[in-house]
Amino acid sequence: MLHFILKRTAIAIPTILALIILSFTLMHYAPGSPFAGERPLPPEILANLEAKYGLDRPFPEQMARYVWNIITEFDFGPSYSYKDRTVNEIIAQGFPVTLAYGSLAFLVSIMVGIALGITAAIHRSTWLDSLAVGMTVGAQVLPNFIMAPILVLVFTLWLGWLPGGGWQGGQWPYLVMPVIALSTSFMASIARITRSSMIETLNSDFILTARSKGLPFHEVVIRHAVKPSMLPVISYLGPTFVGLITGSVVIDIYFSTGGIGQHFVNAAINRDYPLIMGVTILTGILTVMFNLIVDILYVWIDPRIRY
Amino acid sequence: MSGLTPESGTEQRHISTMIAAHLQPESLPEPEPGRSLWQDARRRIRQNPVAMASFSILVLVGIFALFGPIFSNWSSEDINWNVLGNVETAGRPALDSGHYFGTDQLGRDLFVRTAHGVRVSMMVGIIGALIAIVVGTLYGTIAGYVGGRTDNIMMRTVDVIMSIPYMFLLIILLVMFGQSILLLFVGIGLVSWLDMARIVRGQTLSIKNREFVESAVVIGVPPAFIILRHILPNLVGVVIVYATLLIPNMIIFESFISFLGLGIQEPNTSLGVLISEGASQMQYGVLWQLGFPLFFFILIQFGFFFLGDGIRDALDPKDRH
Amino acid sequence: MTANSQIFPENSVTESSRIMPCSHGNRPVPGGISPHARKSRMYVAILALIGCIGLNTRADTPMVHPKTGEELRESQTFTYRMLDEAPTLDPQLNQDSEGFDILRDLFEGLLNQDSRGHLVPGAAERYTASDGNRQFTFHLRKTAKWSNGDPVTSGDFVYAWRRAVDPEVASDYAWYVELAGIRNAGAIQAGEMPVESLGVKALDLYTLEVNLERPVPYFPEMTTYATFFPAHRPTIERHGIAWTRPENMVSNGAYVLSEHVPNEYHSRTRNPLYWDNANTIIDKVTGLVINDEHQALTRYFANEVDRTGIPAGQYPNLKTQHPDEAISMPLLCTYYFTFNHADSGHPALQDRRVRTALSYAFDRDIIINSLLKEGQEPAYGFTHPATAGFNPQKPDYAHLEQSERDRIARKLIAEAGYGQDKALEFTLIYNTSESHKKIATVASQMWKQKLGVDIRLMNFEWKTYLVRRKNQEFDLARAGWCGDYNEASTFLDVLTSSSGVNDGQFHNEKMDRLMDESRLLDDPTPNYLQAEAVLAREMPIIPVYHYTSVFMLKPDIRGWPFDNVQNNWYSKNLYRVKHTH
Repeated sequence: MLHFILKRTAIAIPTILALIILSFTLMHYAPGSPFAGERPLPPEILANLEAKYGLDRPFPEQMARYVWNIITEFDFGPSYSYKDRTVNEIIAQGFPVTLAYGSLAFLVSIMVGIALGITAAIHRSTWLDSLAVGMTVGAQVLPNFIMAPILVLVFTLWLGWLPGGGWQGGQWPYLVMPVIALSTSFMASIARITRSSMIETLNSDFILTARSKGLPFHEVVIRHAVKPSMLPVISYLGPTFVGLITGSVVIDIYFSTGGIGQHFVNAAINRDYPLIMGVTILTGILTVMFNLIVDILYVWIDPRIRY
Repeated sequence: MSGLTPESGTEQRHISTMIAAHLQPESLPEPEPGRSLWQDARRRIRQNPVAMASFSILVLVGIFALFGPIFSNWSSEDINWNVLGNVETAGRPALDSGHYFGTDQLGRDLFVRTAHGVRVSMMVGIIGALIAIVVGTLYGTIAGYVGGRTDNIMMRTVDVIMSIPYMFLLIILLVMFGQSILLLFVGIGLVSWLDMARIVRGQTLSIKNREFVESAVVIGVPPAFIILRHILPNLVGVVIVYATLLIPNMIIFESFISFLGLGIQEPNTSLGVLISEGASQMQYGVLWQLGFPLFFFILIQFGFFFLGDGIRDALDPKDRH
Repeated sequence: MTANSQIFPENSVTESSRIMPCSHGNRPVPGGISPHARKSRMYVAILALIGCIGLNTRADTPMVHPKTGEELRESQTFTYRMLDEAPTLDPQLNQDSEGFDILRDLFEGLLNQDSRGHLVPGAAERYTASDGNRQFTFHLRKTAKWSNGDPVTSGDFVYAWRRAVDPEVASDYAWYVELAGIRNAGAIQAGEMPVESLGVKALDLYTLEVNLERPVPYFPEMTTYATFFPAHRPTIERHGIAWTRPENMVSNGAYVLSEHVPNEYHSRTRNPLYWDNANTIIDKVTGLVINDEHQALTRYFANEVDRTGIPAGQYPNLKTQHPDEAISMPLLCTYYFTFNHADSGHPALQDRRVRTALSYAFDRDIIINSLLKEGQEPAYGFTHPATAGFNPQKPDYAHLEQSERDRIARKLIAEAGYGQDKALEFTLIYNTSESHKKIATVASQMWKQKLGVDIRLMNFEWKTYLVRRKNQEFDLARAGWCGDYNEASTFLDVLTSSSGVNDGQFHNEKMDRLMDESRLLDDPTPNYLQAEAVLAREMPIIPVYHYTSVFMLKPDIRGWPFDNVQNNWYSKNLYRVKHTH
């Protein structure tokens, strides 16, 4: 296993490098300049800006310098759109925020989602199943950009229980609504995948064998059925966690949390190249890391799996 | 696809049990299995009232999308100048005004626009799901089944594609090919299959170690046949459930592609665009602008969810419910 | 060279004013207005308007506004919504209006604006113009201090202005210095001359001399913008780009930056060393970044913010429900569509009759009264009518009934060979946004129904749209322009050949000549009006509307500069009253 982890960590390096090269190239060939605005800049000023940020150099040199600065100094460069800050600082400030509400939303969706899914599966075709399915579909139908304003209307304006936005270092009143808005649809997806996988497991021969031995149904479920049913759920959770981080733009926009999610969209819209690269590399690292964790969990669930 | 299962050698002590397992009913080749499987599935789904109800709902939604506009005096782009500027009162849903679903903020008939939006979004959802099913399943099974270095390369490629700033990819496509509805589907297709590939690969990794697969390998069944006959049927459940989860995501994702300028252009519309427009007005007394598109969005989700569930049940030969 | 335009009376603000702030009262304007000053741009010493607040005795007696006598609330804070995080808090790098809102509080330029947008002393007590508006001399206030106690001297301005044009600093806004006409600004940016050659020098610690390349009568007004704010050299040299952090920043305004969490909020608290601190009432100002305007409005009603913008189309309802909170005031911007006059443009749109027909048939009242509903003014010309010194004189077609304009439009387009039977087809591009989409959609329907024109609408995300517009890849494009300074040329120069903003590539000799000439005139207004007449005749653009700024403001906030068309508000002029009625 250690060998496997080391090997996969080694492979992560060329993977991230490929990601950098590909993303850098895409950015370079996409239209639009970071310095374009309603008022086009005079050519001299544009030239000064390009010189300042090294954009006047040949494209391969820009890319090589970029990678070199990361390797030697872990320097992801200055931000073009936030002129007082570096990309390192922006990520260092926004990532912990997103990680905090993202992880919490992740935990909530896993716990509630799996519980709902299992309940629905073992009580299949009963009112409990219908209730659980109804809840999951209900949680899924409202996209978070609809949920967020409703939450603020209810909890801030009408009830006055929670602040309508902000972060304040992550105090709990500021966490509640972001976590609810972010977790519901993931929770629903997890519940549905769990339910379907659980039903299949319950139908498989080894469960039937176990039941024919006279074990109580609930014991069969807990001891034999839950673990093997988790495989597709685990597969789904890898990309989901990354999605919670990168897809949190709606949370940052609606709840002013100051997280990193907004930069995934805004940096691209502003053509803030270094910031785009920064968040892209972050996504890449998270993706590779979580997929490694997923692969390790596979072996835990099904020890016969080899890579 | 050579080198099939490197593990098979290490588990030789189990060969006898594997062969035994291969003879078990769950992997016994049935006589003309293809036809009977499908016939069987069709029969089962017909007997499933929930699935048939969902199917009927989807058909009705489809009929509404295609033929609904015939029953309106308005076109999707006509502005009712008497309503514009006074949408809160004059644009309410009403039978006598002919605006059955009311109007949008510009005084355009929401009944017709919703029908148009449903048309586009159902297409987006279905095509996204199909691409995910076909490409994602194929990619995932190959990676998972072949394993080793191939798996590593294929899955790291997915990691890279998942992480690239695809907005630029879409914009470059826009510059290269100009605006067209086709680009919308390219954009949808680019992202929809990635998660599916991961999930399918995970399942395949597990399934390929089950006795009936290993015994098939041992007795020399060709890999393509193994994938088709032994692995894919065991993936159906998770693939269908995930595909139904994907449909609403793709419908919302479409509005982002349209935001960039690749997708739907005014006066055309989509459910995603209608819902986000309606959502932005929901505090201002025109709730029908959110309500009607959202209602159809929910119908489509419910429909695909329960239909998918029914198909899954029908295709699962072991399901004894 | 005579110092013939003494603008502020020498004694209008003296050091004694800190002790006896009310002693000067409302002074008559001595010496009259310089012949070089544009008409109606009255450089009046209006200090009393805001300055005479009196000694703020913060004792146990209820606080009362020293001038109006209104009873003040105990807690003097002001919290407002920001759409986005300010891209920078470095005055010389700033190009953002929300950033400027913050910088006006943190820093103080030579001159400030009052509630009507007129000039009042800032770091400078007075100034003189000479050499036909080619040279300006500013006399700095000797009592002004940086927040670390250093005196604010002319050298701080020289340093800051050189920074603004320094190619190594590479400010996006360096063009502003060139626009102001400061000697050698262009050459320095181009790297042809050293930064030291910039036409600004410190004659002594408190005297700043500015030399211009050409007469710029409105130069003093331009000094109210952030680019011309002073900068504290030791701080910048010590901290680099991190000098704008709360823990590092040294500033000279009425407030200092006390907290800043990017993309969440920042707050600024009163600067006890500010020369006019005694007259500042608001203690703390907080800007909350709330991207979504609807969310911001909900939070306004939940009393989390005191000021927020009004979402499109909601002004009338909010005005009815909250008459003393919903506010609409003119904003110095114009919304318009520009035709593509370059070779890549649509051939039919090169025909003046077609352009005129489209402009005439475009019912601006519907856009304003039915769609935007924010008290905007329909635009028939380019210059915002609230622009200082510009006597709005609408073109003839503005006075016609819409039905009459429609009739002429149909006639013109028929003459050009198009109509319901032979549809004119072209594309209209806009950047993705709800309101642009609505306007473009309504416009296309108007033209379709009235003139049989078939328009293909194309939206693009912002930067892609800018590339297309800049490369003339359009037939008709949506555009908007905001005045850089409060003077008509800031608009009309856009449509001259030498303009870098003229994305429609409209070239007209008469227009160019009129605008060139205007720079040398004491009263350029006739030229501006003639230029507008050229636009009305050639119709290179379709003016749509002149902007307003609409927002909700809590009724106990007073002192808001409602008549300042650039919406330049200074927190030091605001206060909260205890009772609203």
